[in-house]
Amino acid sequence: MDDVLGEEWLSHSVDLLVRLVETAGALIIFVGAMTALVRFVVVGLRDRRTRAFVPVRLGLGRFLALGLEFQLASDILRTAIAPTLREIAELAAVAAIRTALNFFLAREIRQERAELARSEGRATPDPVDEPAGRPS
Amino acid sequence: MSALIGYAAAVCVAAGLLAGLVVLVVARDGRLALRVALDLWLAAGLLRLALPPSWDQLLSAAAIIAVRQLVGLGLGPSRAASTGEK
Repeated sequence: MDDVLGEEWLSHSVDLLVRLVETAGALIIFVGAMTALVRFVVVGLRDRRTRAFVPVRLGLGRFLALGLEFQLASDILRTAIAPTLREIAELAAVAAIRTALNFFLAREIRQERAELARSEGRATPDPVDEPAGRPS
Repeated sequence: MSALIGYAAAVCVAAGLLAGLVVLVVARDGRLALRVALDLWLAAGLLRLALPPSWDQLLSAAAIIAVRQLVGLGLGPSRAASTGEK
């Protein structure tokens, strides 16, 4: 029983999960960045207006926020297998940076969205911000 | 894996330069171009944070991200976009 549920086995399992979640986060950030690059070029060639770049930045911000959420999830998982004080301190520093960034990104996305809605002359809130159960 | 993430971060830095240049040429707005480039450089910083953490890497990633946030705050939210069509 100890072999199956031993500390080493748990450590390996959590380590694998951490790698999986961290890779997913990194992949989301990279795919978001590349998608944004392509869209920046396409919008630049097709629609030569300053305002046309705002939705692209908004999309990139969403990708970055999603990737950050995954990376934060991996930090939380890693706390299960951080045996030394040094590792815990490094983990805390990374988690603090990511949490602060997530906050700033969310604020920036909110501001950009409001700006976009204002410039388009409509005030349609994002469905994500709608309180649950509220009729649309 | 670390090498792959390092390459991905470098690609994001190059993408930031390219996208910023495109925006600068098309919209002729330096602020917007800088913000676009900083967005992609932020992605590079986030990817670097996914590398196994060492204090040096952590500090450099945090410094890049802090500079990006400060410049972003200094430029204000979409000030370039609110100035109207170009």
